[in-house]
Amino acid sequence: MRTHSLTGRLIVGVLLAELLCAVCFSVVATEHEMHGRQHAFDIMLRGRADSLLGAVQDADDAEANVTVDRNELDLPAEDIYVVLSPAGRLLGESNGAGTRALDELASAHRDGYFNVELDGVHYRALRTQGVRIIDRLENGGTRRPVTLIYGAPTSHLRHEAVEAARFYVISSVLLLAGTGILLAWLLRRWLAPLRELAQAASSVSVASWEFEPTENALRTRELEPIVYSIRQLLKGLREAFERQRRFTGDAAHELKTSLALLKSSLQLLTMKQRNADQYEDGLTGLTVDVQRMEELTERMLALARVEEEPSRLAEAIDLGKLVRLLARRLQPAADVKQVKIRLAGDDTYLVNMHATDAEILASNLVTNAVQYSPPEAEVIVSLGAPDGMIEMRVTDRGVGIPEAALPHIFERFYRTDASRSRTSGGTGLGLSICKAIVERSQGSIEVQSAAGRGTEVIVTLPKAVG
Amino acid sequence: MRILIVEDEIRLADNIAAALRQGAGVAVDCAHDGKEGASLTEFGHYDLLLLDLMLPGLDGLSIVRRVRARGDATPILVLTARDERRHVVELLNAGADDYLTKPFDLGELIARVKALIRRGKGAAHPLLKVGRLTLNAVEQTVRCGGQLIDLSPTEYRILEYLMFRPRAIVSKRELLEHLYDYTWEHHSNVIEAHISNLRKRLRAMREEATVETLRGRGYRLEAPDSEL
Repeated sequence: MRTHSLTGRLIVGVLLAELLCAVCFSVVATEHEMHGRQHAFDIMLRGRADSLLGAVQDADDAEANVTVDRNELDLPAEDIYVVLSPAGRLLGESNGAGTRALDELASAHRDGYFNVELDGVHYRALRTQGVRIIDRLENGGTRRPVTLIYGAPTSHLRHEAVEAARFYVISSVLLLAGTGILLAWLLRRWLAPLRELAQAASSVSVASWEFEPTENALRTRELEPIVYSIRQLLKGLREAFERQRRFTGDAAHELKTSLALLKSSLQLLTMKQRNADQYEDGLTGLTVDVQRMEELTERMLALARVEEEPSRLAEAIDLGKLVRLLARRLQPAADVKQVKIRLAGDDTYLVNMHATDAEILASNLVTNAVQYSPPEAEVIVSLGAPDGMIEMRVTDRGVGIPEAALPHIFERFYRTDASRSRTSGGTGLGLSICKAIVERSQGSIEVQSAAGRGTEVIVTLPKAVG
Repeated sequence: MRILIVEDEIRLADNIAAALRQGAGVAVDCAHDGKEGASLTEFGHYDLLLLDLMLPGLDGLSIVRRVRARGDATPILVLTARDERRHVVELLNAGADDYLTKPFDLGELIARVKALIRRGKGAAHPLLKVGRLTLNAVEQTVRCGGQLIDLSPTEYRILEYLMFRPRAIVSKRELLEHLYDYTWEHHSNVIEAHISNLRKRLRAMREEATVETLRGRGYRLEAPDSEL
C-alpha cells in the first residue's frame, strides 16, 4: 500500500496556492508596469514628434524639402521619421534604416499611435498633422498642412518588460522557498502532539493497558475524538481480554482439579493393599469422577461452540413439540426426586433456532429446576406467544437464589452454593450456555427468584416466520 | 501434627485427607470454602495449611495474606491449577512457603507436607535426636540406640510432637489440638493413657529420656544427658 504524508501534502498544497498567487501577481504587475512604461513612451514619442514639427515649421517654398539638423534637434539616431505633403509627396525623412518602408505606411494608418515592424526592428510610431508656414516674411506667409510619421524602436521597452518579469519571478521563487522551509519547520512542531499520541498508543500492550497521552496531545482539540476512541477501544479490548483470561484460568482450574481428583483417587487406591470390596468402591467413585469430567468437558466445548461458531442458518423449530418430548424424557429422572414436570401451553411455537441449541437450552433449564425442587414439588414449563414473541417460563418451588448471587448467575463457573457441593453435579456452566444460546438467537433470558420461594427463568425469543 | 485442608472439590479434599492421615500420620481438618477455611486458621491449631488457590468465598491468596498479616508463621502449601510465573511469584511473595500444581502426585504432596512441617518446627533434617532417641520423620519410626521402638500411630505422633520441642512444656490442650482433628471425640484422659503407654515403652528400652508430667501444666520430654 502506498503511503502519503500529511505534512508533505500540506506543504505542497500551500506552496501550490502560493505559486498560483505569485504567477497571477507577476502577470498583473508586469502588465501594469508595461502599461505605465508604454504611456510614458508615447508621451516621449509625441514630444519628439512635436519638436521635429517645430523644426520644419518654416519653409520658403511649399514644395521645398525638409532638412533637419540633427545636432540642433537632439533626436536619437535610431529614430525614424517622414514628413509628407497632403498630396503624399515626401518632404523630408530620416536617414536611418527602415525609413523607406515608413513612407509606404503613411496611407495605411490614421493619425495616432501604432506599432510596426520594419526590417526586423519593432517600432512604436505616431502619425500626426502639422502646419508649415511658407514665406512668413512676405505677407504673413501661407499655411500648408504636413503629415509627420515619427517612429522609435521599442527594443529597450521589451528589454525593460523582461527585466521586470524576471524580478517578479525571482522574488516569487525566493518567497516560495522561504514559505516551504518555514512550513516544514512549523508543521514538525505543531504535529508533535500527533506523534506523542501515536507513541502513547503504541506503548499499550497486553501486559500494560495504561494509555496516557501527553499533556500536549490532550490539549489538542483535533485529537480529542481520537483519544476518546482509543480509550473506548482499549477499555473494550481490556474487558474482553480479562474475560477471556478469567475464563481460561477458570477452565484450567476446573479441568486440572478434576484431573487431580482422578489421579489422587487412583493413587489412594494403590497406596496399600486393599480387599475386593474396597477396590470396587474405589472404582465406582472413579467412574463418577470420570463422568463429572466428561460432563465438564462437554459443557466447555458446548459453550465454546455456541460462542465462537458463527450463527448457522437456523431452522424454524417447534419449541412446544420439543418441550413436550423433553418433559417425557426427563420425567423418569425427576421421579427419583418425586418431582412432577407439568406443561402449560399446548400449541405450536415456532422459533428460529438450531435443534441442538434448543434442546440444550430447554433441558438445562428443566434439569436445573428439577434439581433445586424439594420432593413432591412441581416444575412448570409454560409456553406463550405475547407481543409476537415466543416466551418460555420454567418455574420451580425450590430453594431459590440469594439476592446477592442473582447478578452473577450467568457468569461462567459461578455457583450459588458457596461450598460448591460437587455432589449436586453442577459445573457452573449451564446458565452461561443458556445465555449464549438465547443471545445467539436474538432473544433474552431473565431470572426472577426469591430465596426459599423458588425461581422462574423467562426466555423470550423472536417468533419464526412461516 | 494437625493440618487444615481448604479445597472446594469435596472428593479431592477427602482424598488428600485420607492420603495425609495414612502417609504422614497427621490429623486433618477440611474446609470447603474460603471463608470457613480462613476462620478455622484463626485458632492456630494447625501445623500446616494446605490451600486451594481458587475458592468460593475467599480465594487462597487472600487467606495467605490474612494469615501472614496476623503474624501467624504456620507453613502454607498452596495447590494451584496455574503455574504461570507471575502467579507463583505473587503467591510466594504473599507468604506461601511452597506450591504444588494440579494434578499433583500424592506421594510428592505427602513428602512436601512433612518437609514443611519439619521446617516449621525448626528442623530441616528428617532425623530428630533427643538423647539416645532418633526419630525418622520419613519412615515414621523411632529408634533407641539403633533399636526400633514399637509405637502405635498415636504414640508416635505424641513423641514426634514432643521431640520437636524437647524440654518445653506442652499442655494437654495443645497436644489435643495438634494431634486430633474435629472428627475425633477427644477426652483428655485419652492423652493420659497414651502418655503412660509411651513411658512404658521407653522404659522397656532402658531409655533415659522420659515424658514428665507437670501437674496442671502439661508434659515435658526430659533427656538427662542430651547436649541440647
